[in-house]
Amino acid sequence: MEHMGVAPGRIHFSWISSAESTKFVEVVKEVTDAVKQLGPNTRFRKTDPTNSLAKVA
Amino acid sequence: MKIIRIDKKEWNPGLTQARQSYRLVGPVADEAGDVAEFRTLDAEQMPDLAAADTVLSPKAIVYPQSEVMFEYSTDPGDEERNILKRPAKAYDACAVVGIRPYDAAAFTLVRKNFDTPDYRDPYWCDAYEACTFVGLAVNQPDSTDFSTSVDSGPFSEKGLDVLLVDTQDAYLAKVLTEKGEAFMTAADWQTAADASAEAAINDLQAAAEAAIQATVQYDRIKDLSILDLYNAPFWEDVGFACINCGTCTYVCPTCWCFDIQDEVRGKIGRRFKNWDTCMETQFTLHASGHNPRGDKVMRVRQRFMHKLKYFLDKYEDGLMCVGCGRCVRSCPVNIDIRKVCNTMNSYDPEACACPV
Amino acid sequence: MSSYIESIRSIAEKWLADGDVELVIGFRAGSMPLMNEPCLVRTPAGTAQLVWDSNCGINLANYITGRKEKIGIVAKGCDSRNIVNHIVENKISREQLKIIGVPCQGMIDRRKITAMVPGEILEVREEDTAVIVKGADFEETLAKADVLQQNCAVCIHRNPVIYDELAGELVAEQDGIDRYADVKAIEALAEEERWDYFEKLLAPCIRCYACRNACPLCYCPTCFVDESKPQWVGKSQDPIDVRTFHFLRAYHCAGRCTDCGACERACPVGINMRVFTKKLEKDCYDAFGWEAGLDPDVRPPLDTYRPGDPDAFIK
Repeated sequence: MEHMGVAPGRIHFSWISSAESTKFVEVVKEVTDAVKQLGPNTRFRKTDPTNSLAKVA
Repeated sequence: MKIIRIDKKEWNPGLTQARQSYRLVGPVADEAGDVAEFRTLDAEQMPDLAAADTVLSPKAIVYPQSEVMFEYSTDPGDEERNILKRPAKAYDACAVVGIRPYDAAAFTLVRKNFDTPDYRDPYWCDAYEACTFVGLAVNQPDSTDFSTSVDSGPFSEKGLDVLLVDTQDAYLAKVLTEKGEAFMTAADWQTAADASAEAAINDLQAAAEAAIQATVQYDRIKDLSILDLYNAPFWEDVGFACINCGTCTYVCPTCWCFDIQDEVRGKIGRRFKNWDTCMETQFTLHASGHNPRGDKVMRVRQRFMHKLKYFLDKYEDGLMCVGCGRCVRSCPVNIDIRKVCNTMNSYDPEACACPV
Repeated sequence: MSSYIESIRSIAEKWLADGDVELVIGFRAGSMPLMNEPCLVRTPAGTAQLVWDSNCGINLANYITGRKEKIGIVAKGCDSRNIVNHIVENKISREQLKIIGVPCQGMIDRRKITAMVPGEILEVREEDTAVIVKGADFEETLAKADVLQQNCAVCIHRNPVIYDELAGELVAEQDGIDRYADVKAIEALAEEERWDYFEKLLAPCIRCYACRNACPLCYCPTCFVDESKPQWVGKSQDPIDVRTFHFLRAYHCAGRCTDCGACERACPVGINMRVFTKKLEKDCYDAFGWEAGLDPDVRPPLDTYRPGDPDAFIK
């Protein structure tokens, strides 16, 4: 994905068992923070030439 | 019928002038610079007439590969919710410059499908009616051009408003319709050609038609029964190589099938019309899961039967093919419609032998 | 090359006559210069139409998946690796096949040749290492090495890896080749430039799926682009959907692609989509030392777990 030009840091991998709930919470928080720091993704999103879908969050 | 002489020095100025009242469309190389296609020209851009033998046919001008049919919102807060809104699209006057005669002829053929007494497809028809077709005759047809055997030809006037003939230092323009007349006036190309023009055009036409080597015969196809052709033993041999991609259907100027699909995000949606291909496995997949053409050879057979038999029978106006040769050039496995047509035409259901 | 043709025909004829196979898949002469048509031969007499030359770039392994008969097939280096792949993936059994192995010296690129000559090509002849191209008013002699398909120029498996009989002598493999020069060039670009590079590369794509359909690896009964519940990829010409189709297809070929070039050859608008699969091939090679389709008895890395598998990216 990075090779294609999608910014590094938007894709993360982790191995979490269903019994590791605390780890899950930590990883979710970490990934959310990391991605938020990168800002909104501008490249890999579908174009909307009529802008009619801009109303959707 | 008027013949106007456009000196090549007047070509650019004329087009620049015409731009004031027409959106110009013509063949140009794409951004990467390799593949030429028919597109709306930029403000100063001129059509590259040497590149008029485009890989894709110009059908996308009238019938884009992806088109939004309508948009809608189901948001309770939206005043215009639940109303299907056709997107505002400018069907401004458009001049397609440099189109090949067989491609213009193809439009008239496709129109039989989209503009009928019972139903008029507004997307196709509105786009088509906005266009003025300024065609360029093919002085040197290539080896895959078989347009003369299918009621078309390098100098065919079908579907054209103006036919330009390149005579080295000038274009001789045969003005064929009122729309053509209007275009010539807008471009300020008004100089009548002299008396020798018609003969010059005829000579070039004769030379071009004589240069066409590829031919197809279909005189017997109309008399063969559909079932005889359908059950003929040669389809496996014809269709084995086919990889069922959509290349032939997408490059073909007379193929018209499309798929309709919605893309929805939350409460907003758009309905798309996208080109579809009968070569695809899913083309005839029913909601029940049954697929009457689940087998590759059935789909290959369908394409040729449609183009060379069903259309012929239904409209009694020739084949659903204008001989442009694009499918022959682009097919990755060299399935050749000329061979198939001749195989169908020479089929004798009575005889037991069939070619391997 | 003509000796290959004789061998292919006589081997195929023998197998059909002896009932060793029910059909033979090979090439017959095309209706246009630089093209051949894959064909199915069921009778010994029919083998007379089989040909072989440097225009046999389409991968015949594409035609065997799902067939139940005993099949004879003509296979060059890359094709044979795809046959091994099919065996490894249970799409056909070794017992069903009788393979005529063809040591390959590279296939020529029709698009490249067309761009090098000044008019329509009417006739092409091969003589040793030269390709003689004739048109209405030109005749050019090109060096075969200059007009090879891109994948053939960097091929290191020209000899078939699996066969029952050979159509000719084994050829020397190329060495000193940097298979990944093109991938490295892209890797060296900045992120924004890489995005734009792929944007430009895919701009002419018309979603005809010729690349997918020419690929022997793509045999899924329902391809991911055709799924509608859920719909993974849109069907319109939205550039993001086009890009998604290409890179996701490349992912499905990771560790399986033999770089046969059929995808590029099939594309009607000349897209070099091998840049996607080459990157994944390089990654597989770097991470697992893996090259697809060399041994029917070895499981590929993407379906086996080894404790030493790289996992530094998993947190």
